[in-house]
Amino acid sequence: MLVLARKVGQSIVISDNIELLVIEVRGDQVRLGIDAPKSIPVHRKELLDRIRAENVKASADVDVDAVSRALGDVSAP
Amino acid sequence: MKVVTTRFGVLEIDDSSVIRMSRGPLGFEDQTDYCLIQHRPDTSFRWLQSIDEPSLAFVVADPSEFFADYDIEVPDSETGILRLKNPDDALVLTIVTISDGGSRITANLAAPIVINSRELIGLQVILQDNRYSVEQPLVVNRDRSTADEARQDPKPAARAA
Repeated sequence: MLVLARKVGQSIVISDNIELLVIEVRGDQVRLGIDAPKSIPVHRKELLDRIRAENVKASADVDVDAVSRALGDVSAP
Repeated sequence: MKVVTTRFGVLEIDDSSVIRMSRGPLGFEDQTDYCLIQHRPDTSFRWLQSIDEPSLAFVVADPSEFFADYDIEVPDSETGILRLKNPDDALVLTIVTISDGGSRITANLAAPIVINSRELIGLQVILQDNRYSVEQPLVVNRDRSTADEARQDPKPAARAA
């Protein structure tokens, strides 16, 4: 991992079209400004981790009848 | 084509109905090909079944049936991948998680599956919208099935919340 020290108001340029600006540092929190093309998704990593965990949970081995019972299908056997 | 599944046995799927994702849902990035299977004839729930991994399937539903004011903005980066030109071509599905032995049903509104229904390109879209939860409780209308419920579940009230 590349580690760079930056001050408020300074930025990092990634490739030729992404700029990461340090806007504010307050305690242990850093506010960043991200200037990137709209074609590049930018997400907080915790959200990706939560979605990944939820996908794993959603795909857990529930069988069709269990789902029917949970959903209360009229056609459930 | 024949699709082997652990829940539905061997299915005969028309090649032209396969939904291809440029990357599978988070955590399943390598599983890119899916088909949609109706759960029961009289429900709106469907299964998003992996073509290549027999045991991988997600319960999905049309979120607008349960969350009337659910409206999403698909980021430009994703509409490009989906080759989505007309919003009417977007089929939006929410992944439903059934846990705690069926007593807890939630919908992932933060990361819906969006499918270009014309070209059958799919993608799990991560919304830039903090109104929507990864685990939004989903209340299923069980009015029609009260009798079934009572017969199948000794404690139906516990699940009705």
